[in-house]
Amino acid sequence: MNEKSGSTKKASREGEEIVQLKEPVPGYMKAAFLASGVSVPGLIYAIHTDLTLEGDFSDVYVAVDNSTLYILYGLEEVVKTEGARRIVSQYTMKKLETYPLADLGELKTDKLLSTCRLVSVIGEETEEDGSSDKKQKDKSEEPKEPAIIEKQLILLFSLGLLGYVDRLIKVVKNIRENVDPLREVVVDDSLFCTKCGTRYPEPERKLCPKCTDKMSIFFRLLGFFKFYKGKVAAVMSVMLAITGLSILAPYVGTAFFIDEVLSPDSSWYRMVGIAVLAIVGIRLLNTGFEMLNGVVLAKTMPWIIYDLQLRIFEAMQRLSVGFYMSKRTGALMNRVSRDSRNIYWFFVDGVPFIIVNVATFIGIFVVMFLMEWRLAVICVVIIPVLAFMYRILMRIFRRFHHKFWVINSQLNNMVSDSVNGQRVIKAFAREDAESKRFSNLSAKQVDVDVARFNLGFTAFPLIFMCMFLGQTIVMLVGGMMVIRGEMSLGVLMAFLAYLNMLYGPLDFLATVSNWGSRCMDSAQRVFEVIDAHADIVEPENPVMLPEMKGAISVKDVWFQYDPATPVLKGMKLEVPAGQTLGIVGKTGAGKSTLANLIARLYDVTEGSITVDGIDVKELSLSQLRSNIGIVSQEIYLFIGSIIDNIRYAKPDATLEEVIWAAKMASAHDFIVTLPDGYETRVGAGGQELSGGERQRLSIARTIIQNPKILILDEATAAMDTETEGKIQGALNKLQTGRTTLAIAHRLSTLKDADMLAVINEGAVVETGTHEELMRKKGEYHKLYAIQMEGLKVISMD
Amino acid sequence: METMKESQQNQGIDLSDLGIMDLAQAEFYTADGGFTGLKYKGEDYKHIVLRRIMPIDQPMNYISIADHDNKEIAILKDVNDLAKDQRLIVERELDNRYYSPQVLDIMSVKDKLGYVYMEMRLRNKQGNEYDKSCAVKDVSRNIRMLSSNSVIIFDVDGNRYVVPDLQQLNKQSLRKLDSYLF
Repeated sequence: MNEKSGSTKKASREGEEIVQLKEPVPGYMKAAFLASGVSVPGLIYAIHTDLTLEGDFSDVYVAVDNSTLYILYGLEEVVKTEGARRIVSQYTMKKLETYPLADLGELKTDKLLSTCRLVSVIGEETEEDGSSDKKQKDKSEEPKEPAIIEKQLILLFSLGLLGYVDRLIKVVKNIRENVDPLREVVVDDSLFCTKCGTRYPEPERKLCPKCTDKMSIFFRLLGFFKFYKGKVAAVMSVMLAITGLSILAPYVGTAFFIDEVLSPDSSWYRMVGIAVLAIVGIRLLNTGFEMLNGVVLAKTMPWIIYDLQLRIFEAMQRLSVGFYMSKRTGALMNRVSRDSRNIYWFFVDGVPFIIVNVATFIGIFVVMFLMEWRLAVICVVIIPVLAFMYRILMRIFRRFHHKFWVINSQLNNMVSDSVNGQRVIKAFAREDAESKRFSNLSAKQVDVDVARFNLGFTAFPLIFMCMFLGQTIVMLVGGMMVIRGEMSLGVLMAFLAYLNMLYGPLDFLATVSNWGSRCMDSAQRVFEVIDAHADIVEPENPVMLPEMKGAISVKDVWFQYDPATPVLKGMKLEVPAGQTLGIVGKTGAGKSTLANLIARLYDVTEGSITVDGIDVKELSLSQLRSNIGIVSQEIYLFIGSIIDNIRYAKPDATLEEVIWAAKMASAHDFIVTLPDGYETRVGAGGQELSGGERQRLSIARTIIQNPKILILDEATAAMDTETEGKIQGALNKLQTGRTTLAIAHRLSTLKDADMLAVINEGAVVETGTHEELMRKKGEYHKLYAIQMEGLKVISMD
Repeated sequence: METMKESQQNQGIDLSDLGIMDLAQAEFYTADGGFTGLKYKGEDYKHIVLRRIMPIDQPMNYISIADHDNKEIAILKDVNDLAKDQRLIVERELDNRYYSPQVLDIMSVKDKLGYVYMEMRLRNKQGNEYDKSCAVKDVSRNIRMLSSNSVIIFDVDGNRYVVPDLQQLNKQSLRKLDSYLF
């Protein structure tokens, strides 16, 4: 390691933005490396990490060229300029470390609790250097001297940056293998918002809370209305008519009635009946419009929400399994139904009333100014003051409400916890302690509730008092004007009525902004699902095999769900068509992962899997999946009848084919004893079935699919011995004439397989038939012996 | 041209061992004590159990016939293929097993503490009509649409009542039932 420490060079880069998309080495890093004496044109890839080896926070730039790894420690100074853009104005370098690649061993990451280390390992025999078979062979031939392992710590960083460091490792590996250094490396992946430089709260989700343009989301939501333009225009027109009539009503009821009908000087004098009729007429017209509006709205909005939900659901079907498995999207999915409801209510209850209230607000002020501008000016001063007070009080009120809600949900959780755990509570005689725990939390709720009610009982009368004060000011000034003859009594009464009418929109508009934010937030998440790209897609020119035979070849496959945590490490396997391969290994060895990769639910990270000699990535996805049947421990039955569930893989199957499949799966006998036979409803809310029954239905489903490749993933793991016997019989029938990968813990179930493969830590460590592996006395023999020993103990008991 | 059977065999499906009853070798009879018996392929089953494989869609097709120990003997494909006397024996046995009177009228539906109390006018297979009061719990599970136009109701005693055609119910009855149909 070469080190330049203590030198403080400043790389002034005024005006340069922090993020430059699609640049393997961002410009601001280039400048910093240039200032520290590194030849910038040679740099291939760079990342930004955050810790020194001592654990101090720092701005660490790590870059690599064809021969060297550079680590630059320093501190960024960030300024915000016009337009809120985040600019790195200055980088103060503290230390530069250089590591010639030739001196470094294999780069690996070592996960700690919240941080991670980049380590160079020299001398350790790695999985890809030699297969475990080779290890076995070496061991058996001659005793080997222990390898000298040299490990060197290169970098410390926060765990969240693991993905970036993993990509850097990939670049180094590519350089060493003399292939394109950026092959399969994501370049366009920034931690910071491209607009304002704020760090994304979730690196995988490029969503800046500051820069999200809520208006653009709103307009995109409006796009869902485009098929209903006519109805929306009708709703708007009717609403504006309602608003106009609402504004007209007080004028007729007060100014016109007092100043014209009751005034002897007016031509309308004594025409009380006509005036009352006019008032009633306006009211009737208003009610009619409101009803019409409701009818049109009811016919439009549910269809818009239908469109939105359908788009979300279709998008969800398109996405890959990996999307559903990630924690981030798990939470996202849970919220989708709530989010579409939020949007629904905002558009049904919010938007129409925003339009009405804004129009009312403006309309009233226009009428007020037309009637008496001086009095209107007073109102213009009073209303913002009231609006401000109202907003502040509502904010405080919401805070209490939120506290109450949090405590309330904690209480609910505790009650549910206590109900579910009654056996444990009673077994440990903890009834009193549980009651005390509940009492303590409940007391907290009382405190918050008292504060909330206190605020409610004091704040709202205060607001009403303020409203009243506003009215008195108008009465005072208006009354004096009436006395002086500057204004009529009717106009004053109309003014007071309009002032009262203003409070409604004021109340609504003070609260609707939060509602709108919540809706836009929901819409953002919904659009995220709609816009998400599937990881597994059909190839552009998919290969269609005339007939799939089912020969599987797993060639040096590496795979990881999370960065730097490989599950499969150079796995190699060959399964000839029509044969059964039993896969054994400890939990977490990568057995189920292999099944997922063959069915292309995920794509391999490195290496390839072929079926009949063609890479699964090139095969038609629908042909591949329709030819692979998976029976796993995880059984899912859809809501519907048993016959629908069995027919799931072949909807056009005849009833006789379904009965045949059920008989083959040893499911027919229990199905006919159910009151509704094959029409029994299963799935959520349907007939309860035992694990074994559900499993037999899933086997029947796979039988009717008639796949060329069958994957049995711990299909009988959770069954009792009798049920397992029945299912095993069904599975044996199913395996005939198909390529089968049988994954099982219980080795006795795999004894008859044509070939067995023992997997350990993501690689195949032994292959052979049961007899061969028993003779070999290796890993399989050890596992078999352990299980037999266990069975002996059970039989002794 | 590939026959249906060949096509199924190519797909790995072999329906020859489905166990469809050979009617030429079957004779249903009423055994002593009123049980239904069957003489089939040289065996005499004195007490058989008849079960509908598709009780809703195809009540008279695909009847699973099992012996007293619930071991399936054969599947009767269509009750109507039987001779009249044989058919009557089978129909009577099925009617007894799947006893579900038809709902003619719903006089009252009251929701009380999570139970729905119903008063109905019913008609059984023999054409006899009578009034019946029953209680239904967990209505989402126990008042079920069988098809878009037929409904089955299960009461707390396990009885089943069928509305074969909702359009045949009078308007008042339909209105009373409507809020429980999902």
